Amino acid sequence: MNKLIGNEFLKLRTVRSGWMLLAAAQVMVIAGISGAVARVPTAQLSGVAVKGLGHIGLISLFTLVLGIVAVAGEYRHRTIIDTFLSEPRRGRVIAAKTAVYFVAGLGFGILSAATAIITTTIWLAARGGSFDLGSTEIWRTVLGGIAWNAMFGAIGVGVGALIRNLTGAIVAALAWIALLEGIAGQLLGGAGRWLPYRSGAALANTPSMDGAGGGLSQWQGGLVLAAYAVLFIVLAVSVTILRDVT
Amino acid sequence: MTELSAQVLTKRFGGVHAVEDLSFTAPAGKITGFLGPNGAGKTTTLKMLLGLVEPSSGEALVGGRHYRELPQPRRVLGAVLETTGVHPGRRAGDHLRILAGAAGLAPGRVGEVLEQVGLKDAVRRRIGGFSMGMRQRLGLAAALLGDPEVLVLDEPANGLDPEGMAWLRKLLRGLAAEGRTVLVSSHVLSEVAQTVDDVIIINKGRLRYSGPLAGLAAGPVVARTSRPQELAGLLAGRSFRVEISGDSALNIFGATAEEVGEAAAAAGIPLSGLAGAGASLERAFLKLTSSDVESTAATGPAAAGMGAYHE
Repeated sequence: MNKLIGNEFLKLRTVRSGWMLLAAAQVMVIAGISGAVARVPTAQLSGVAVKGLGHIGLISLFTLVLGIVAVAGEYRHRTIIDTFLSEPRRGRVIAAKTAVYFVAGLGFGILSAATAIITTTIWLAARGGSFDLGSTEIWRTVLGGIAWNAMFGAIGVGVGALIRNLTGAIVAALAWIALLEGIAGQLLGGAGRWLPYRSGAALANTPSMDGAGGGLSQWQGGLVLAAYAVLFIVLAVSVTILRDVT
Repeated sequence: MTELSAQVLTKRFGGVHAVEDLSFTAPAGKITGFLGPNGAGKTTTLKMLLGLVEPSSGEALVGGRHYRELPQPRRVLGAVLETTGVHPGRRAGDHLRILAGAAGLAPGRVGEVLEQVGLKDAVRRRIGGFSMGMRQRLGLAAALLGDPEVLVLDEPANGLDPEGMAWLRKLLRGLAAEGRTVLVSSHVLSEVAQTVDDVIIINKGRLRYSGPLAGLAAGPVVARTSRPQELAGLLAGRSFRVEISGDSALNIFGATAEEVGEAAAAAGIPLSGLAGAGASLERAFLKLTSSDVESTAATGPAAAGMGAYHE
């Protein structure tokens, strides 16, 4: 298993798409926080740090795509044949990828957190505000955001294994986040807070897109998201074992 | 000694019979050609041997075991499928390091196999810029990483120029001579006729012929010599069936022109003419694989040293 995990890291390091996603994520964090802090009225400057740091969690969109590419990308480039020839126990391959992309998600989260904290500090200093690094609220947002990144990395592996067409998988995932979860949320009413993106937002201590109140607590969000990750991976493993590699 | 075998292997995709009741053995120490027109079920059969596609019924075995049960599969079998992919953005050396890592092989093998296939200078290059021939060589390098006892190559002639083909032939000859099993698929007989010892021919998922390449030819090799009796005795001694026609011509069944020529030369018998079975080999192949022919020849093993035709 260690061999497989090491190998998945090597695969990730040796193509450029991962590095480009990481760079794009940092640009998004800097731009997002700059927008949030630059335009806020001075009177509301005290609450803006938490809002800006919420961008760390939003990077989970990138780690979701990264996880999808890890599996669906192998089908697209047909490297999956060599992968399964080296390790015919396909469940172990999916398990190794899950572990690696969970950790890669953590890495994305941690680097994005560092970028976010530095950006927020600079902006607040420039605007004459202050940034209280001792605040529990701030650390709940930062750590929750990092955890969201890791969870979505693992879930991405599941999505990529279930929808093996790379374009289809990415479109489905982004459509879910941008559109479908909103519709499902309205249909479900209060139960909509258990949906994956909202659970992630709860975990990251950030309000969900539509600002609907009555969401999950941070711990609940984390547990629900972990349950989604387990569900996706269990489905991904069974489907991957059963389906022919044609 | 690790042989490849299929035992009444069947694969249906929906209602389509891609492979049906297919049985064959590719023995160690020989190069076996796996032939059939496009869509005959060659790649599906190879994928069943490699554990990528699950048979509907029957067995596909590597040394008597399922591929998925091999503890270190890459040390047993190396394969290049036509559909095996590479990430275009990855460097050739990294690509092989990943494969070596996944198979638990020493990283030092990467340099060795790149040297073996003549790609040593391309180790740092991204694969996206490779020519078809270079990609074929890289695929072969990947298959050789584990120093496997069995080599499975799907359409290796695609993208290779004549020089590359000659190089591949020599490489495969050497590997078979070391006692390894080599299975080479192709849809064109002439591409592999000079390379293979035995052939397995399938059409529409069914076995049409398996046995020595020479036995495939319906027609004989024709040799002309001033000493026909002597040559006939010599060839009969090598268990080829020989007919003397006229006062200087011999019809030899079950042999290749090379075998006849070498035998004559070794015995110092001058030949004034030698016509191989090449043309009739191609004819026999086309006859076996043409879509409207269902039954070509008698079922069951033919004469000794010949292969078996199948309905």
